[in-house]
Amino acid sequence: MPPGIPAFIAVFLLILALPRPLMASTAEELAAAPRWQALLHINRGATLRSRDQSYVDDDRFFMAENGRTDPLAELQSAAEVLGQPGAEQRCRFPARYRYLAEALGWQEAEPFAHCDEYLSWRAGIPDASVVLVFPAAYLNSPSSMFGHTLLRFDAADQQSDWHAWAVNFGALVTADDNSIFYIYRGLAGGYPGRFSTVSYVSKIQEYAHLENRDMWEYRLGLDADEISWMIDHLWELKDVDFDYYFLDENCSFRLLELLEVARPRVDLLSDLRFAEVPVNTVRAIDEAGLVASRLYRPSKAVELEQAGEALSADERRMAVRLMKDVSLAAQGEYQTLPPERRHLVARAAYQASRFRDRTRDNNEQAAANSYRLLQLMHANAAPELAAIRPPEPPERGHATQMLAVSGGQREDNGFAEIQYRLTYHDWLDNHRGFLDGAWIEALNLRVRREESDRWRLWQLDLVNIRSLAPRTAFVRPTSWFVHAGIDRPEVAGQRDATRFVRGGPGLAWRVGRWLPYGYLQARIENNDNLDPFINSGGGAELGLLRHGDHYSLHLSGESLYFADDQYRHRGQIGVQLPITQQNGIRLSALHDEWRGGRETSWMMTWRYYFD
Amino acid sequence: MKKTIIAALLLGSAAGAHADAAGGPGCGWGNMLFEGQSGMPMHLLATLVNGTSGNATFGMTTGTNGCDTSGALSYSGKSLLSMNGVLEEVAMDMATGQGEALTALSVSLGVPAEERAHFNQVMHQNFSVIFSRDDVTAGEVADQISAVMQSDEILAKHI
Repeated sequence: MPPGIPAFIAVFLLILALPRPLMASTAEELAAAPRWQALLHINRGATLRSRDQSYVDDDRFFMAENGRTDPLAELQSAAEVLGQPGAEQRCRFPARYRYLAEALGWQEAEPFAHCDEYLSWRAGIPDASVVLVFPAAYLNSPSSMFGHTLLRFDAADQQSDWHAWAVNFGALVTADDNSIFYIYRGLAGGYPGRFSTVSYVSKIQEYAHLENRDMWEYRLGLDADEISWMIDHLWELKDVDFDYYFLDENCSFRLLELLEVARPRVDLLSDLRFAEVPVNTVRAIDEAGLVASRLYRPSKAVELEQAGEALSADERRMAVRLMKDVSLAAQGEYQTLPPERRHLVARAAYQASRFRDRTRDNNEQAAANSYRLLQLMHANAAPELAAIRPPEPPERGHATQMLAVSGGQREDNGFAEIQYRLTYHDWLDNHRGFLDGAWIEALNLRVRREESDRWRLWQLDLVNIRSLAPRTAFVRPTSWFVHAGIDRPEVAGQRDATRFVRGGPGLAWRVGRWLPYGYLQARIENNDNLDPFINSGGGAELGLLRHGDHYSLHLSGESLYFADDQYRHRGQIGVQLPITQQNGIRLSALHDEWRGGRETSWMMTWRYYFD
Repeated sequence: MKKTIIAALLLGSAAGAHADAAGGPGCGWGNMLFEGQSGMPMHLLATLVNGTSGNATFGMTTGTNGCDTSGALSYSGKSLLSMNGVLEEVAMDMATGQGEALTALSVSLGVPAEERAHFNQVMHQNFSVIFSRDDVTAGEVADQISAVMQSDEILAKHI
């Protein structure tokens, strides 16, 4: 056969196999369809950066040169490339192939026969159901405060969730990064973000066991077809670089995009989603009707807390002593307990030891003690263990942004106040769905108008975070707070805006439903009426917090003494009554004293929470 | 090596003195029962952006114990044990006689659901043999579990 003939036959066959030509009008419709836009990660208005173009900052992700900005050009190039049988790019973009094949009626029995790597990956990934996992915040860990979201893929015959796959979107960090730049780059978008898959057990270890974060697992009501779209598209995202932005284009945002690929009509990303707090993702999928069921996976902290609560006061004391010295188990007090109680006491002591030591370096004595506690548990048969009681699920909590209007009186002056807060929660806000003692606020603005005055900035909190971690028989955490912004104390006879940073460590306890606490405080501030430029002071705050069934109550007193011999004392009381999930009424009163004056004020506030 | 350790720290996983045990750096076979899993404070920062280490995995590796980079994400009972933190979960469940870690282990070993109660019972009875010391390693525990199953009429067929 002359050398030209096989080539000729090949070309001829190719022409026969070519898909029918793409009509311009069809192409436009297909390129504008939600699923194509989702497959290309086109920004349809969810964030401010790169509107109407793809979020993917990676040339390898596009087949057309201007694919990032032009979905139609990408569709035309893709149709041309992927339409060829045996095209290498099919192995890279199976979801795009499928989209075009379904839309244009391409029919091939085994379009991916040449894609070994894709096929073996596809065969290995469990695809019976998809779970959205929300590791909630742990109170004392600032970096976890907004939570996280990831996806889990389960197999049909999966008998243990530990064997499921987790799909995670996170910033790709390298070992060379210095820690300060790390934070900055994480916030400012200096890291590429990537999807990765790991075993779910490693995520349980990471969140529930090491970081003490409760995990909420929401099984999504997606059908097999939708799941298969999602998985095929996930493969397209292998090693693809996105920008990672802490505030909006974060883990949660990217998961919403995956959900849009699975079910384009859910339309989760047409509205602006600035500051995509992970719990909002949970709310968004809940409202979109995507949640089929919910499961709570307690953290080690909650397990320990409830193990302690299951003991009597005497047993708890015994457990604390065992934790320090297991040999006390030989004594009569422990030995007279029934075996089942002995197991529970040893168990609580073991859990507490591990809670303390798990994140510490290896320690021979601690290991020996923990091992003997295990032996003690083994020697005394376990009773039926009570299931962990779940708290109120996070999606039932109030929304993250807030608008409030207040009326009140400061001494003889009536005033009106308007408040906006970007995010998220303080001690008195509607408590349902939030942890006891959680407080994290960013960008909290209050403007006030007093009688015979104009509107003035009254207070601005840039950041205000308080952790209130109760000390128990087993754990002795340190609470802390940090607060930065602008307020208006009376300084040098004027009430001018004062820029400040304050913070300090503290201790908290739980007595019934009361949370008594104390903080030490250091404060530096800058006020235009004052020399020196920076004034510094120190003091303390004592308070009481109570989360009732239908109210939250807070009382506190604080004193501050400054380097320039000024002092300030403040007593305050506040109570909030939730009206609905998204509305609450707050009453608060303040009494301030300072060198040269004193005043009392009160106000009543309507707080409205919204997304 | 340094890079591996730091990456492991970022992920809050163990990379202690035993990081050089058989299987390569970061492999968990040498992990002891109460292996410390410290990683603070770098770890806090990694949490903020949900950091993924430099060699982000995509399902072709177990990704967590650094030992096994060939197979798909399913793992045998042995490699499950070598994963950071799993050993102590298994120890606690064995001391109790049941639990999620023990279930996961039995699934890894191919023990079917109807034999699980028996598996749990045998493991519970042999707790002191399997976890014989406070510094027993993942490799030793895996060997002991095999030995115990071997000598059990019902479980022997899974080894």
